[in-house]
Amino acid sequence: MGFQPLFRSHLPRWGHVLGKQQRFSLIALVAIGLIFLGSVPVRAATPRHYTELTFPALPEIQLPDYERFQLDNGLVVYLMENHELPLVAGTVMIHTGSRFDPPDKVGLADVTGTVIRAGGTQSHDANTLNRLLEQRAAAVEVSVGQAMGSARFSALSEDLESVFGLFAEVLQSPRFPQDQIDLALSQGRGAISRRNDTPDSISGREFPKLIYGADSPFARTQEYETLAAITRTDLVQFYQTYFHPDQMILGIVGDFEPRGMKQLIQAQFGDWPASSTPLAETPPPVVPRSPGGVFLVEQPQLTQSTVQLGHLGVRLDDPDMFALYVINEALNSFGGRLFDEVRSRQGLAYSVYALWRPQYDYPGLFVGGGQTRSETTVAFIEAVKAEFEKLRTTPISEQELQQAKDSILNSFVFNFQDPAQTLVRLMRYEYFDYPDDYIFQYQRAVKAMTANQVLQAAQAHLHPDQLVTLVVGNPQTMQPDLTALQGTVTPVKLQPTS
Amino acid sequence: MVSGMKTVAIAILVGLLWLGGSLNAWARPAPSSGTASSIQPYLNRVSDQVTEFTLDNGMKFIVLERHQAPVVSFMTYADVGGANEPPGQTGVAHYLEHLAFKGTERIGTRDFAAEALLLERLDQLFDQLQTARAAGDTEGATQLQAEFAAVASEANAYVKQNELGLIVSQAGGVGLNANTSADATRYFYSFPANKLELWMSLESERFLEPVFREFFQEKQVILEERQMRTDNSPVGRMVEAFLETAFEVHPYRQPVIGYEADLQNLRRQDVQAFFDTYYVPNNLTLAVVGDVNPKEVKRLAQIYFGRYPARPAPPALTVSEPPQTEPRSITLNLPSQPWYFEGYHRPAITDPDNSVYELIASLLSDGRTSRLYRNLVETQRVALSAQGSSSFPGDKYPHLMLFYALSAPDRSVEEVATALHQEIERLKTEPVDEVDLDRLKTQARASLLRSLDSNSGMARLLVEYQVKTGDWRNLFRELDEIAAVTAADIQRVAQATFTPENCTVGKILPQTS
Repeated sequence: MGFQPLFRSHLPRWGHVLGKQQRFSLIALVAIGLIFLGSVPVRAATPRHYTELTFPALPEIQLPDYERFQLDNGLVVYLMENHELPLVAGTVMIHTGSRFDPPDKVGLADVTGTVIRAGGTQSHDANTLNRLLEQRAAAVEVSVGQAMGSARFSALSEDLESVFGLFAEVLQSPRFPQDQIDLALSQGRGAISRRNDTPDSISGREFPKLIYGADSPFARTQEYETLAAITRTDLVQFYQTYFHPDQMILGIVGDFEPRGMKQLIQAQFGDWPASSTPLAETPPPVVPRSPGGVFLVEQPQLTQSTVQLGHLGVRLDDPDMFALYVINEALNSFGGRLFDEVRSRQGLAYSVYALWRPQYDYPGLFVGGGQTRSETTVAFIEAVKAEFEKLRTTPISEQELQQAKDSILNSFVFNFQDPAQTLVRLMRYEYFDYPDDYIFQYQRAVKAMTANQVLQAAQAHLHPDQLVTLVVGNPQTMQPDLTALQGTVTPVKLQPTS
Repeated sequence: MVSGMKTVAIAILVGLLWLGGSLNAWARPAPSSGTASSIQPYLNRVSDQVTEFTLDNGMKFIVLERHQAPVVSFMTYADVGGANEPPGQTGVAHYLEHLAFKGTERIGTRDFAAEALLLERLDQLFDQLQTARAAGDTEGATQLQAEFAAVASEANAYVKQNELGLIVSQAGGVGLNANTSADATRYFYSFPANKLELWMSLESERFLEPVFREFFQEKQVILEERQMRTDNSPVGRMVEAFLETAFEVHPYRQPVIGYEADLQNLRRQDVQAFFDTYYVPNNLTLAVVGDVNPKEVKRLAQIYFGRYPARPAPPALTVSEPPQTEPRSITLNLPSQPWYFEGYHRPAITDPDNSVYELIASLLSDGRTSRLYRNLVETQRVALSAQGSSSFPGDKYPHLMLFYALSAPDRSVEEVATALHQEIERLKTEPVDEVDLDRLKTQARASLLRSLDSNSGMARLLVEYQVKTGDWRNLFRELDEIAAVTAADIQRVAQATFTPENCTVGKILPQTS
């Protein structure tokens, strides 16, 4: 319907990060004992209103069996069998990230990840590799994001051996041909040239810069000059620095036989030497920024403003995080405060949201926003801010608290729909050094959550005086204009795109 | 970055065609050969787990049992979309979809009897307001406006905002959303498996006694949606203009979101009339996929959905687009980097050549070995991304095969067009290599296999094939049809389809001022 499913607070973001390429999530669990849950004890013969219905409890969640071990060279391996479909998928998490790009070569990690896959291997050039994989309806993809590198494969189980061999090759002996490096750089330049074509793209890029600083590894962007500085030598060096088995976690899920799988892993990865000097990279620091303010990207052609407002948020391991997830739930989606008030009652927006987006190892964002017609820009911002203020000053009602808790707890089972979800979650906890039962800590904390805890968390973590408000739109048609918010409006100049 | 750009492009286009939640409308199963035999048993097994039934009132249900986790996904598919809208009422199908979240006579209200009177009063006031405005009676309009605001505020006091969504969410429902396309309107979410009867109760009540409350507030929301998707989006504006150019009479030329003027004029009575005509039992198909007992589903469906009285079938769309006889084009100068679009009329999904079109799209667009990627992106580097879709803007009626590309830096859309035409000509003149055909067929089969473990995905596919092709089994049979496609078929269809007089070109060019 008319609502964009931006985020579900009870599916903390870690499930998403592998992104669209990964087929890892396409395997399902045969969970013994879960088969006859659908039967209903008392049988209705006439239609009943929802208030008259009662439901049997769902059983406790059962984690699928898995195995964890380590090769002599340090590679950590997780295996999870699942024979529902004749498919096998795997993922490798690699300790690296674009956060480690040199400031004058921003884009290096991204381009390296692209070319590791696109450029083919020492034994198979790019075209051969592509053909071999796609002829088998298989895929191997590699990417390096801000906090993690990842490589993924997916294959029919009958092709496991050959595809897994190609996967290992891509990771261990990428070819880095110049033509694929040039292509990746040209694609990067193309993305820069198009990055101001939509207001979303502008605000999504500029807002983090206002919070973390334009040069921060958590906000900076690729520019023509940083891409121009990247050479093949840089790619090879980046690869050699970070791609070692002792810096990786491999997880495989699907229709394999464990003994054979272990032999295959040993054969393909066992001889890969560990790094001589293990890395001890820590995330770069987040430097607190000056207080907030109102910022404007002037786009005279727009008839609608795209707004983001927020400030620095928290790390996922913040003790208040679980309370903040409850607030996320209370604010967003159908029946959330913002949706009810700003959209349904006031008709000010199609899309409106606000939430904490924690990060594993550095403070994430607290960010809200949406789109509203130019005329109502200030009204929209005021309406969202009023909800922030309410959170700080008024305890959440028992009914609303119960609603949020029920939503999180009753839908908890959807975090365990398929074994790949569980596997990737466990790998991610290990990667970021979180306890492996973190998700159950979340569940227990939500069960015990009180209105007072929620209020205290809101007061501790919501800072109206630090709010950064960014508007992308046409100031000529805003009524009133943005000075009505607090007087000063700072224009944001976009980097040229050509 | 390669795939990133492609993803962005697809997301933009899909967003424009399917108003509502995210959905990869183009991820279609395509098919195979050597691996066919090893995959087939799994497809058969799933096929065997599907049951279907039709209630006495004509409502159809498809049920797929999957017990891998204690969850279940639901979809209600109304066989009505933007293409069914009466002249002057573009956007009504999608408007109705929004209003279907506003509750019923018992959900979403504090006192329906009192509220109903105010809703009727608002309808009257809106009509009077329209009349006054049309007559240029500003004074009368101002007065009516004030009265309207007062009554609206009174009505609002009875509303429990988004109560339906709240009930679903509190019960553990996820993914509650809906979308509207030119062809269809789909409502969906998932519940833990112990809430099957809750879905039965809520969903049957939702379309049995819907109340289109907050009608005028929602109009503002939809106008915002239009601004976001169309007016403030270069690609959104192009898609609207492109369809108006490519279609002369068929309603595929209308924007699903609706024209602003039409939306402004729409009345609650219009939505109600549209609902009464099209949301009749024999025009609704529902899918239930997950950890359920099909007998229980049927028993409950009879109890809850059996309440709907049978109604006459809605009128079929009789308009057909005359053959295009000369090239058409549309250029928009916008603050945007260039985009290139090219569309060719093709027959509906039910045409025997449908699988050939699917294969052509796959050959040109799927993966790193696809022809458009290899030649336009990788080798000639005229495009950052280039794709083809075989079903634009829908596929229930004769529609378009659409190609689109984002030009690379310093390359023109003319260069993109030339390179694209080389690939299209090649389809006509050169038989596709058997190895390539085999690859596409294997990929189609594997693609369906990979979709089998998603309850919501299977609900969507089963119901879509049921409604559009008359039988959900065609989801599986299509693989055999695809397997039967020959290189000669592709040449024949390409020669018949990709002619200059059947072509519409769209260009977004940067604004120069």
